[in-house]
Amino acid sequence: MKKKQTIAAVLLGAVIVLGTVGSVLWLGATVKSGQSSYFWGIWVIVAAIPLYLWRVLLLNGSEELRSLVVRSIRSVGVPIAGIVIAIVIGGILMLLTGYNPITAYGALFYGGLVRNWHISVLNAAPLIFTGLSIAVAFKAGLFNIGAEGQYYIGAMAAAWLGLNLNLPAVITLVLVFVIAGVLAAAWNIVPALLKVRTGAHEVITTMMLAHTARYLSPIFIRAYGGDPSTSTHPYVTDEIFPTNWLPSFDSFLPNANYRLHTGILVAIVVAIAVNYLIYQTKIGFEIRAVGQNKDAARAQGISIGRNIFRALLIAGFLAGLAGVNQVTGLDHKLFENLNANYGWNGISVALLAGGSPIGVIFTSLIWGILDAGGQFMSRTTQTPNAIVEIVKGIILFLVVAKYIYVYLGEWIKNRRKRSIV
Amino acid sequence: MTDQTASMRKVILETRDIVKRFPKVLANENVNITLYEGEILSLLGENGAGKSTLMNVLYGLYKPTSGEIFLNGVPAIFSSPKEAIRMGLGMVHQHFMLVDTLTVTENIILGSEPGAGVQIDYKQARRQVKELSDRHGLKIDPDAKIENLSVGLQQRVEILKALYRKARILILDEPTAVLTPQEVEELFSVVRDLRKSGVSVIIITHKLEEVKAISDRVYILRRGRIEGERITAEVNKEELANLMVGRSVVLTVHREPHEAHPEPVFEVENLHVVDDRNIAVVKNLSLEVRPGEVVGIAGVDGNGQSELAEAIMGLRPASGGRMIHLGDDITNLRTKDRIARSIGYVPADRQRYGLILSMTIAENIAMGYHDRPPNSHGWQLDYTAMEEQADDLITQFDIRTPGALVPAGHLSGGNQQKVILAREFSRKPTFLLVSQPTRGLDVGAIEYIHSEILGMRRKDVGVLLISLELEEIFALADRILVLYEGAIVRELIPEKTNEREVGFFMTGGTEKAS
Repeated sequence: MKKKQTIAAVLLGAVIVLGTVGSVLWLGATVKSGQSSYFWGIWVIVAAIPLYLWRVLLLNGSEELRSLVVRSIRSVGVPIAGIVIAIVIGGILMLLTGYNPITAYGALFYGGLVRNWHISVLNAAPLIFTGLSIAVAFKAGLFNIGAEGQYYIGAMAAAWLGLNLNLPAVITLVLVFVIAGVLAAAWNIVPALLKVRTGAHEVITTMMLAHTARYLSPIFIRAYGGDPSTSTHPYVTDEIFPTNWLPSFDSFLPNANYRLHTGILVAIVVAIAVNYLIYQTKIGFEIRAVGQNKDAARAQGISIGRNIFRALLIAGFLAGLAGVNQVTGLDHKLFENLNANYGWNGISVALLAGGSPIGVIFTSLIWGILDAGGQFMSRTTQTPNAIVEIVKGIILFLVVAKYIYVYLGEWIKNRRKRSIV
Repeated sequence: MTDQTASMRKVILETRDIVKRFPKVLANENVNITLYEGEILSLLGENGAGKSTLMNVLYGLYKPTSGEIFLNGVPAIFSSPKEAIRMGLGMVHQHFMLVDTLTVTENIILGSEPGAGVQIDYKQARRQVKELSDRHGLKIDPDAKIENLSVGLQQRVEILKALYRKARILILDEPTAVLTPQEVEELFSVVRDLRKSGVSVIIITHKLEEVKAISDRVYILRRGRIEGERITAEVNKEELANLMVGRSVVLTVHREPHEAHPEPVFEVENLHVVDDRNIAVVKNLSLEVRPGEVVGIAGVDGNGQSELAEAIMGLRPASGGRMIHLGDDITNLRTKDRIARSIGYVPADRQRYGLILSMTIAENIAMGYHDRPPNSHGWQLDYTAMEEQADDLITQFDIRTPGALVPAGHLSGGNQQKVILAREFSRKPTFLLVSQPTRGLDVGAIEYIHSEILGMRRKDVGVLLISLELEEIFALADRILVLYEGAIVRELIPEKTNEREVGFFMTGGTEKAS
């Protein structure tokens, strides 16, 4: 018995180490002057899987192992099926419009997964933050459709702090992330107040404030270096202090792409933290209770207003981090027309992940791959990038339709149950 | 009751050896029933006995695994309700299928609108509805919006909807579950009128009184099988109950004498409460509950019961008066603090206010006390402890579930209620507010819940019971407070009164009846 526990603990340690090392390597992978490096990290991750399964077998027996495998296949199966179907439909569209789907998709996946993998990863990081923001609001039954606005606030705050704080890197980066996040959270105080006091719908209020935030950014940029009359870069702020830059991958993986920064690692850590917050803490419990049945939650003494506040502020904080990530990691300055739509795309990845914080990591990567690969495809094969947007739309449709199937299935099951029981 | 013998009358509907098998359950096993023209047939059984399954098979919602159905002697298995409707079957579900924002006429004609092409002939429709309602004595305003009608009238619209589609067989699924006593009487007279005009009616129910009051004949279902068939006039309630549950039940649990402590645990003084429209619905209400007694509030639904309950739990502000728990004024305390003060609450609408159906049993049991040990330490929840606690309570309260991690929504109504009781009763309450604890439950579950409530009384908990069922009040209460239009109009002792007298005061009677 004792021995079993020890082996299990060792296995868990190995899984964590292999998973972390493999993920970092894989995320830092790149193609440099024809030489690919670090892609083998994925095999390190794969190696961790049998070890984890062994641990489950050891601790819970073969029955549990089988059910775990079945559950995993089922939960991954539907999204994958949706993606495959969407790709096939996209291929048919290409055929109809006179493009070769094989070369086009070849380019898409080569671009997204190999050649421009670092761009996929760069795309994914802010999406994880905005996706988490929307997922947390979903848990409370709220739709934080204005994540785009909180993103701008986060970006502006990061640029402002980055231009003014000149402290040692470790301290200042933490400060930038926290303060900018808090300011972005504060941006959601008004929608939260309106929701609690008057019942004004957060879709309207956060959306309006998103536009407000977006049009605040030109003013901010003028104030911090952007000068249309003299500057060669009129629509951009000055560069922030280098101490406020997120470390790049090539500082510890010499062969990594020089633009690739560690924002993706921060994003993954935050996703795990959000998962913990939602499923393992009192706050998460109350948020979920209010989201699923606010009347019953209230009857058990859980305040609806307080949890609407919590959820919207946490959502604002997370969306703000997406902006911080872009400014401190990638651009090191604030551009006027970011036009990145990370806020809006966050809705897609959150929906695609079914509101699961961990799922958001993967759906964000998929979105990032499709975006990066799509650009590569249109550049090398002249296939219009729009096809990628269509494929994304179809994936989203099919996966959201999945929830319709699940919902319908539940409904039919319940009906049956009602008539049996 | 007609004195024609059944065998002389025309068989309109017959099932032969209907079997309906679901993946894990045999819901109907060789069910044979016969329906005669112009009779009222009851289908009596506990929740889960297979009544609704059988009706859904008849109505074309389910395909039977095997067996035959004959309509007017012709084999007929419907593949959809649409087909069933065309062949003269009508069904009124427990939950009405009406569009709230449309008028009565529009709802009735919905799906089979008169008129040519895309045009709807509203004038003709209105006339037809009017004529139909006159003919069957179902008085209703054809132009009223559904949302403005009472539940009883909405049910009437459902019946008219079926009749408009020329139903000859009308299936009513638990028709009285949502009605007030007066509405039940009206429904019964409508059903009798329908019988006169040759419509056959099947009533699905688990209430013995209802079977006795309205039906000509009754089939008793238990565990998917027909347990017996009786002419209603020739059977008594005890026999029906025995057939239904398969064992002898005492319809009223035995309430042993128990001395209540003199010092009240909970008091309400001159309480005033307004409803959502700002109308006073609880007026100058005072009461006290002592440890070890059950105080029953009897009243017709809508006389301030729900607002009173919400005010006691702090879910609705009191516009005047005081509430005192163990000597402290709690009028302005939050719900959370009241729960922490060992006040327990079993709400009337268990699915809306009692449980979060998508959460697990363990989470539902922990809810409210999720912020303290053993359910959580610091900010972190302790799922292991929550599960252990739930497992204990599942055994203790005999909750039928595969485990503590099953969503509450997967349980039957009786087991859902047991989860709520387990949560509230296990927290060592000093005062319990119990509202409609057995609504919609079967005899076995009612008996269990009643005995649990009396168990709390034995442990010197003060219980305030709000119920619309007089039988329940008489079975449990040591004192009866009659609520009428938001005020306590009379206090009665169950041993010294009867249901007639309570009913008299409940409906606004002021002089002492007979």
